[in-house]
Amino acid sequence: MAAIECRSLRRDYVRGEETIHTLQDVDLDIESGSFVALMGPSGSGKTTLLNLLAGIDRPTAGSIRIDGREVAGLGRSALAAWRSSTVGYVFQLYNLVPVLTAYENVELPLLLHPLKAAERHARVAEALEMVGLADRHRHYPRQLSGGQEQRVAIARAIVTQPRLLLADEPTGDLDRAAAAQVMDLLARLNRERGQTIVMVTHDPSTAARAARTVQLDKGKIVDAVVHGSVA
Amino acid sequence: MNPVLRPLPFTWRNLARRPLRTGLTVAGIAVATFLFVFVESMREGVRRATEAGAAETELVVYRRNRFCPFASQLPQSYERSIESVPGVRSAVPVKIVVNNCRASLDVVTFRGIPEGHYLARHLEGVRMRSGSLDEWQTRGDAVLVGAGLADRRRLRAGDRFDAAGVRAWVAGVFESDDPQDANSAYAHLAFLQETAQRGGTGGIVTQFNVQVDDPRRIEEVAMAIDERFASDQFPTSTRPASAFVARAARDVVVLVSFAGIVGWASLVAVFALIANSIALAVRDRVRDHAVLRTLGWTELGIAWIVVLEATLLGLAGGALGACGAFVALRAAHLTFGMEGVSIEVAADPALAVVGLALATVLGAVAGAVPAWGAAHREIVQGFRTA
Ligand SMILES: Nc1ncnc2c1ncn2[C@@H]1O[C@H](COP(=O)(O)OP(=O)(O)OP(=O)(O)O)[C@@H](O)[C@H]1O
Ligand SMILES: [Mg+2]
Repeated sequence: MAAIECRSLRRDYVRGEETIHTLQDVDLDIESGSFVALMGPSGSGKTTLLNLLAGIDRPTAGSIRIDGREVAGLGRSALAAWRSSTVGYVFQLYNLVPVLTAYENVELPLLLHPLKAAERHARVAEALEMVGLADRHRHYPRQLSGGQEQRVAIARAIVTQPRLLLADEPTGDLDRAAAAQVMDLLARLNRERGQTIVMVTHDPSTAARAARTVQLDKGKIVDAVVHGSVA
Repeated sequence: MNPVLRPLPFTWRNLARRPLRTGLTVAGIAVATFLFVFVESMREGVRRATEAGAAETELVVYRRNRFCPFASQLPQSYERSIESVPGVRSAVPVKIVVNNCRASLDVVTFRGIPEGHYLARHLEGVRMRSGSLDEWQTRGDAVLVGAGLADRRRLRAGDRFDAAGVRAWVAGVFESDDPQDANSAYAHLAFLQETAQRGGTGGIVTQFNVQVDDPRRIEEVAMAIDERFASDQFPTSTRPASAFVARAARDVVVLVSFAGIVGWASLVAVFALIANSIALAVRDRVRDHAVLRTLGWTELGIAWIVVLEATLLGLAGGALGACGAFVALRAAHLTFGMEGVSIEVAADPALAVVGLALATVLGAVAGAVPAWGAAHREIVQGFRTA
């Protein structure tokens, strides 16, 4: 069964007189536990598609079924609860909360989960460990480099162990070595935890680490390539 | 974590880690709350001194058209005539000596009264802080001093007390809820009549304090008294004690009721300060709120975060201002005196609590509109604002 089924997905933005067709008739199936790279030129609708999958934006038309559930049909608070339990999102611009330390940023999603303080602490520590920032948990975002911020953002996205991990250019600002580390981490999460990963990237060699690449152009899927094997 | 308390650490960090913004806002709220409590305390003081209770039984007989203890002179012999007016239970001649007839913050009022038994009855139930009525009886120059005056002049039993041309000896200090008593020094009538350099000699008093039998007939009795002396050499003007104070203190009453505007305006300031601070904060945190929503916070959760922050600001500023006002009033013993009457600006814990509660509630209300806006913003729009 496909974990994610998008059917005739459309997203229009109305700006004044003009309507921007950001996504048009997108049909996309993503298998449970797969690792998909989303590519396409700037403005092709990659972030918009990710937002729809994350349940933070709603389609103008069409349906998104995730694990058999129609996400677009969920009420506001049901959708929020679903996001909290199911989705991890790594933003294009990190989006860490500036007044919170690395540790507190990573802890943020866990506050909505019924965990004891000790367990919450253990999970945050584990997530920071996985991204190699165990020694930075007291630092504020402004005290971290771009790559470190990105890794904190990843730790925040994976700390709840979501079934669906969405990452918007997670290696965009990193040098080659740091990017390779992040890709190793995503591959490991995909392999060991069976997390379904959808990742936006501009870099073909990064995309090659995914099992499959989906190409977007002007809001339409133009090409889907299945790579030989999971790297 | 309990959903109501869940945002507390987040909100707390937002406040604590922007100390300048938080400090300035809290300071502003504190000053405004301080003003509110202060002004309300003045109004409460005026109300207490000038508003008649339903059971008011005391009249003050004064010389007609005279407005200062120096000028009001009545023969002590009126006492018997007044007591024969129907409805009068008792009349006590009082000689008043003040150091200053005009409005002042440090008025010393001596009240000379004829005999100990009057004082004993009048001060029935008051707590003696030091000394006793018996000691007052033993010396001609003895005074019993109200706590308000004693605190202002740092007087204790056994002290000498020199003011308004009167050299007296403090026989005791008593505490009274009546602001007139609390700010007076009770002396022997004959002693005051002799020592007072101004205002005549023996046989002349300033006023009579009259008790009536029936509070419902108090106005009627007042008229009957004035009628009795209308064509006399010393015509009188008789008013219920509260109205007498209100008349003597009219300037202060007008000023203070005008100051009431300041009190309410400072509440508006509290509201505006919090609303402004929160509106700016919410605008700064559009992205943070979008992140929280993405992580699973509900709209209600976001609204609560904002309202909680506004409420905490109100609570902190309110607590600081209200406590500050309470402590300051307590320490200052502010008393307006004029024409021999006193209006106390008392430190009332109830008013401090009201000030604190109002600041807190205003905080919550001021946060409500920005909270609504923050909660209803589309998440993706939140990420698109710079
Ligand atoms: N909330 C919005 N309101 C109006 N227009 C929007 C909104 N979100 C996206 N768009 C428009 O939709 C188009 C696609 O945007 P999107 O962010 O999905 O592109 P992208 O593929 O992620 O590009 P990039 O690689 O630069 O991040 C753009 O033309 C953008 O201006
Ligand atoms: Mg994008």
